[in-house]
Amino acid sequence: MVEEENIRVVRCGGSELNFRRAVFSADSKYIFCVSGDFVKVYSTVTEECVHILHGHRNLVTGIQLNPNNHLQLYSCSLDGTIKLWDYIDGILIKTFTVGCKLHALFTVAQAEDSVFAIVNKEKPDIFQLVSVKLPKSSSQEVEAKELSFVLDYINQSPKCIAFGNEGVYVAAVREFYLSVYFFKKKTTSRFTLSSSRNKKHAKNNFTCVACHPTEDCIASGHMDGKIRLWRNFYDDKKYTYTCLHWHHDMVMDLAFSVTGTSLLSGGRESVLVEWRDATEKNKEFLPRLGATIEHISVSPAGDLFCTSHSDNKIIIIHRNLEASAVIQGLVKDRSIFTGLMIDPRTKALVLNGKPGHLQFYSLQSDKQLYNLDIIQQEYINDYGLIQIELTKAAFGCFGNWLATVEQRQEKETELELQMKLWMYNKKTQGFILNTKINMPHEDCITALCFCNAEKSEQPTLVTASKDGYFKVWILTDDSDIYKKAVGWTCDFVGSYHKYQATNCCFSEDGSLLAVSFEEIVTIWDSITWELKCTFCQRAGKIRHLCFGRLTCSKYLLGATENGILCCWNLLSCALEWNAKLNVRVMEPDPNSENIAAISQSSVGSDLFVFKPSEPRPLYIQKGISREEVQWGVFVPRDVPESFTSEAYQWLNRSQFYFLTKSQSLLTFSTKSPEEKLTPTSKQLLAEESLPTTPFYFILGKHRQLQDEKLNETLENELVQLPLTENIPAVSELLHTPAHVLPSAAFLCSMFVNSLLLSTETKSAKEIPEDVDMEEEKESEDSDEENDFIEKVQDTNNTGLGEDIIHQLSKSEEKELRKFRKIDYSWIAAL
Amino acid sequence: MAAGGGGSGDPLAPAGVPCAFSPHSQAYFALASTDGHLRVWETANNRLHQEYVPSAHLSGTCTCLAWAPARLQAKESPQRKKRKSEAVGTSNQTDLLALGTAVGSILLYSTVKGELHSKLISGGHDNRVNCIQWHQDSGCLYSCSDDKHIVEWNVQACKVKCKWKGDNSSVSSLCISPDGKMLLSAGRTIKLWVLETKEVYRHFTGHATPVSSLMFTTIRPPNESQPFDGITGLYFLSGAVHDRLLNVWQVRSENKEKSAVMSFTVTDEPVYIDLTLSENKEEPVKLAVVCRDGQVHLFEHILNGYCKKPLTSNCTIQIATPGKGKKSTPKPIPILAAGFCSDKMSLLLVYGSWFQPTIERVALNSREPHMCLVRDISNCWAPKVETAITKVRTPVMNSEAKVLVPGIPGHHAAIKPAPPQTEQVESKRKSGGNEVSIEERLGAMDIDTPKKGKDDLQTNSFPVLLTQGLESNDFEMLNKVLQTRNVNLIKKTVLRMPLHTVIPLLQELTKRLQGHPNSAVLMVQWLKCVLTVHASYLSTLPDLVPQLGTLYQLMESRVKTFQKLSHLHGKLILLITQVTASEKTKGAPSPGQKAKLVYEEESSEEESDDEIADKDSEVSDLFPVCTSACISSYSVRMRPS
Repeated sequence: MVEEENIRVVRCGGSELNFRRAVFSADSKYIFCVSGDFVKVYSTVTEECVHILHGHRNLVTGIQLNPNNHLQLYSCSLDGTIKLWDYIDGILIKTFTVGCKLHALFTVAQAEDSVFAIVNKEKPDIFQLVSVKLPKSSSQEVEAKELSFVLDYINQSPKCIAFGNEGVYVAAVREFYLSVYFFKKKTTSRFTLSSSRNKKHAKNNFTCVACHPTEDCIASGHMDGKIRLWRNFYDDKKYTYTCLHWHHDMVMDLAFSVTGTSLLSGGRESVLVEWRDATEKNKEFLPRLGATIEHISVSPAGDLFCTSHSDNKIIIIHRNLEASAVIQGLVKDRSIFTGLMIDPRTKALVLNGKPGHLQFYSLQSDKQLYNLDIIQQEYINDYGLIQIELTKAAFGCFGNWLATVEQRQEKETELELQMKLWMYNKKTQGFILNTKINMPHEDCITALCFCNAEKSEQPTLVTASKDGYFKVWILTDDSDIYKKAVGWTCDFVGSYHKYQATNCCFSEDGSLLAVSFEEIVTIWDSITWELKCTFCQRAGKIRHLCFGRLTCSKYLLGATENGILCCWNLLSCALEWNAKLNVRVMEPDPNSENIAAISQSSVGSDLFVFKPSEPRPLYIQKGISREEVQWGVFVPRDVPESFTSEAYQWLNRSQFYFLTKSQSLLTFSTKSPEEKLTPTSKQLLAEESLPTTPFYFILGKHRQLQDEKLNETLENELVQLPLTENIPAVSELLHTPAHVLPSAAFLCSMFVNSLLLSTETKSAKEIPEDVDMEEEKESEDSDEENDFIEKVQDTNNTGLGEDIIHQLSKSEEKELRKFRKIDYSWIAAL
Repeated sequence: MAAGGGGSGDPLAPAGVPCAFSPHSQAYFALASTDGHLRVWETANNRLHQEYVPSAHLSGTCTCLAWAPARLQAKESPQRKKRKSEAVGTSNQTDLLALGTAVGSILLYSTVKGELHSKLISGGHDNRVNCIQWHQDSGCLYSCSDDKHIVEWNVQACKVKCKWKGDNSSVSSLCISPDGKMLLSAGRTIKLWVLETKEVYRHFTGHATPVSSLMFTTIRPPNESQPFDGITGLYFLSGAVHDRLLNVWQVRSENKEKSAVMSFTVTDEPVYIDLTLSENKEEPVKLAVVCRDGQVHLFEHILNGYCKKPLTSNCTIQIATPGKGKKSTPKPIPILAAGFCSDKMSLLLVYGSWFQPTIERVALNSREPHMCLVRDISNCWAPKVETAITKVRTPVMNSEAKVLVPGIPGHHAAIKPAPPQTEQVESKRKSGGNEVSIEERLGAMDIDTPKKGKDDLQTNSFPVLLTQGLESNDFEMLNKVLQTRNVNLIKKTVLRMPLHTVIPLLQELTKRLQGHPNSAVLMVQWLKCVLTVHASYLSTLPDLVPQLGTLYQLMESRVKTFQKLSHLHGKLILLITQVTASEKTKGAPSPGQKAKLVYEEESSEEESDDEIADKDSEVSDLFPVCTSACISSYSVRMRPS
């Protein structure tokens, strides 16, 4: 590092991939999805991100392929621009500035130079569908201000708008009605569900709409799980609809296949339903997709579907309903209970993932490694069901042990609690359940920690609970005559005046255990489990507790709910210092003495890095996030950095990651944006050059020949056609000044006549030539035959001289004839 | 990254399959197997990332492969004041993979797009490509072949930049110097070329067999005082086919020394070599050599001039199957490749079959001279297509796992007597033991036997059966007694049973209570009887708490839901039976009630405590009266004051 830039907060793990429908490229090789301010291009085969199209300055809200050039992509954003990209090279081609917030984008092949967008102009919640004319211009920045209004008072979501039957009409749904606007007639028909006021049909709201690609048929999804297929909607009265009902909950999205033979639907059930021929009988399912289906899209080639799910993933599905690839971002569906952890073995970030799973996310490659199924129960995704939640997890003993706590609380008094202790089996390279403990405590477990001291011979785990106890679990030998086994047993139960235990933490060497009981911190000897001393500051409940490390191991830090950060000296058993800081997150760095604390204020979150030995912070960064920061963790670096300036030294050996309330994972980077932004010219770009395949030799050559032939014929035609300049009438017409020309009506017949070819003369000329040609060919053929015979005879018998002479005379004759002919033609040509 | 050559019928072809880790973070491992398939594995989660079959995979199998240097990809936009939506992390994405084939063509495969990117043929090799090296900066590609030539390719244009004759025999290996200006090539002899002029700069003697691997080991000269011209003073390493020695050479300023500086010895032909570059004088070079016999040898050495003796490895890593029982003996699992992680402290090992290799990160511990890892790869053969798509791993949950439910010992802390207290008890016992000699004890037993003989009439009676069953731990006998449903019989038996069997009976009952709920119902009757009848005896026991702690916990957990009801019930029963029992016991003395040993107990705090507890118990609302009383007193003691 030569010169360090300021520390910047950067996002990790990307934004949501499931914000809008994903779009396939024309050849189904790539899939595009919006992700925050970017458009990401993924390969459908390898699941790898090929390009990130960046240039928008606000959330990208819609993407569509350019219907006139399938190698280009339109995107629109809340920043009021529509951008045109070349997605293969990842280059921005054009920017159209519209000027108002765009919420969705639609393209129709028939409307050549215009696209459709959802905008809101006046009031914040009234949305309009407008057609935006994209002016043709060679410049990169173009103003596109020509908006023409199509539909008013529509839903904001692009799922509620669909263009049907090659852009003849557009269907929009909102609440209880469907409106169809016909472009040619410029009329709108509106269909309200008749029973919408009825109580029985109270959940009749429209949720999404899709149009058949070739027929006049509109499919609409409803809140109650029904799908209605509307036909005959040209007439306000004669319209009909049929009902398809399988979903028991809201239909989230609908899509017709390219040919229109089947309809795809999905919802909270996480099942993709394919309705064949739009009948209720013929349906196929792809179940257990893991999370609510939010969007469905179909590739233009028709071979792939894809579903976007609420847990931030895109599943690419083959036409035969087989999942072929999963593009998975950081799972962001649910709230994070477990906090952020680092798996010592894989160095991956571990946190709540899919329901009942722990996700392992590789920070180095910014990719999800896998989900570890902890609860191992079929997940039923339904509204109102109280699920088993994975609430706590901890790694111990260098990743050899994993403790997980799952709980389910139906009512206040009915708590189901289970703790599982998993052992990492080196032989099979996976976790194996070692001990399962039902109801380890009477009430929720508030903290879980392993004793991670290096020299500890016996793995130790401490759980603290709201029931006022903390339990110490140790690994004991459970061997009997049948098998060798180890298992966890409870070794000690401690409490302090029936106060709720809120936090627990081991000192670095594992000799002391600190447990906080509401406002009081108790220190226990970890060998005899005797209470050594208590600290009480009367400053509110303890929210965070941690020991200092390395040279600062004699300090204990506690952050309280009333916004006081206390540091106690364990040798003198006295308060060393305290500071007024509303700490939300407090994390010690495993590789140094540093402790990071994130405080919350009304403006935003601030970061403080300090050593426990002195109350002066090493580094302060204000406003790291506007939201509340929920969790943080220090991740040891593989290769230490070497920042020299004092302010950045805390980042040398570890990197700090934190998670905000909206579940965006952020970290600090000192690299300047320019350093990371490599121009495309710098990239190692090898030209694609693939050699010719046998198919090319067969088909390509054939085509080439055909092309040549075509060219020849064209040339012939051109030769036969007289050049326009050579026709005197035309040249006269063109060269005479306009004011002296006679009227056009008078000139017309003369002009047309001049362009006509004189057929009689030509045909007369051509016919004999053709005959000649034929004769020539015949003679040539016979020549060849003769030659052949000649050769055969040559080889067979050379003795018959007469024959040869005879033959020769014959061939000579022919030659002569040929010469004659040639002479004739030549003369004729002259 | 070095890549071994493809296996073929040629005896002088290097062993092993061509494979390589992706540069920088070793995120991927590419392996071109002998069936012509190229497979790319993710090293972090051991998942098949993609599979590619070149169209000519049968005629022109892949002989060598090399990853292109990381492609820098623009992924970030400058931060604005309000929003931060930038991506970090994947600034260097590896993409292109160059494959050399047996027919002389070179394929460039894009791992991001999963398709063939381009094919380098025109003007290239007309025989087997032996080695490919990417130039680290210029984006050029160097390849050497059996046709004796070295070709420099312009990858951007997919054209030959330069082609020259590299050797009189086939050229088998290449390496580019750290500064990118020189090129090492080797057939049997090793040549150092100046890339600009394509002239030979130095000659080295080389090996007797074709050199299969070449690698620079240092990037800085050992003598830092002299001006450094980019090449002089650097060490490099060479390994050859059928050669168990790896030679280290030094590029010297004078063109005299042609022999190797030193050598490393391994157990078999090297198949895959990886090393950590030493950046300064003090830092040792770490070398991992995978041999054909499936072992990995690790060397750690500071390169410093001559060394006559070949060096042996600091550490050897082997992998074997667990081999349970007599039938399956442990079998070695071959290691296919090994690569150092970026922290230089751990090693990525690829082992198993090339069809489905396992990739594991192993932390290095230089102290151990031999590491044998036991790995079970039998389940790796199962197809993993499902997990490959969903990325869900299911940890094993089998019946062998220990299950702790409330009441089972281990769920709650075992109640131990406080340490000073136990000492007291022990001392008491000791003193007691001293008082009574063995002879006396025998005498006591002698007295006892005729008594039993007297009671021969009652042998079949329940109290005797119970006593005998408890003493001999006879399951059948105990079953016979304990499975009775007759409440009166139970009461009588409990009344008549000798006092010393009360505790063993309670422990037996506890064990049975933890078992099946149906039998537990019967045990509850017994338990109730024992506790009500022998409450006074139990309360006198000093070590009651540790002895009956589990029973107490069990009952606590079982009765928690209807605590209050059962408390009331227990209290009433206690009162009623106390009254009736006091009348009955007067008449019928129970058998074997005479004390065999009597000794005076020293008065202790313990007893007074118990007395208090006993008093408490009458007032308290506990069903298992005495135990809970004792334990509550215990917990009072335990609670920090």
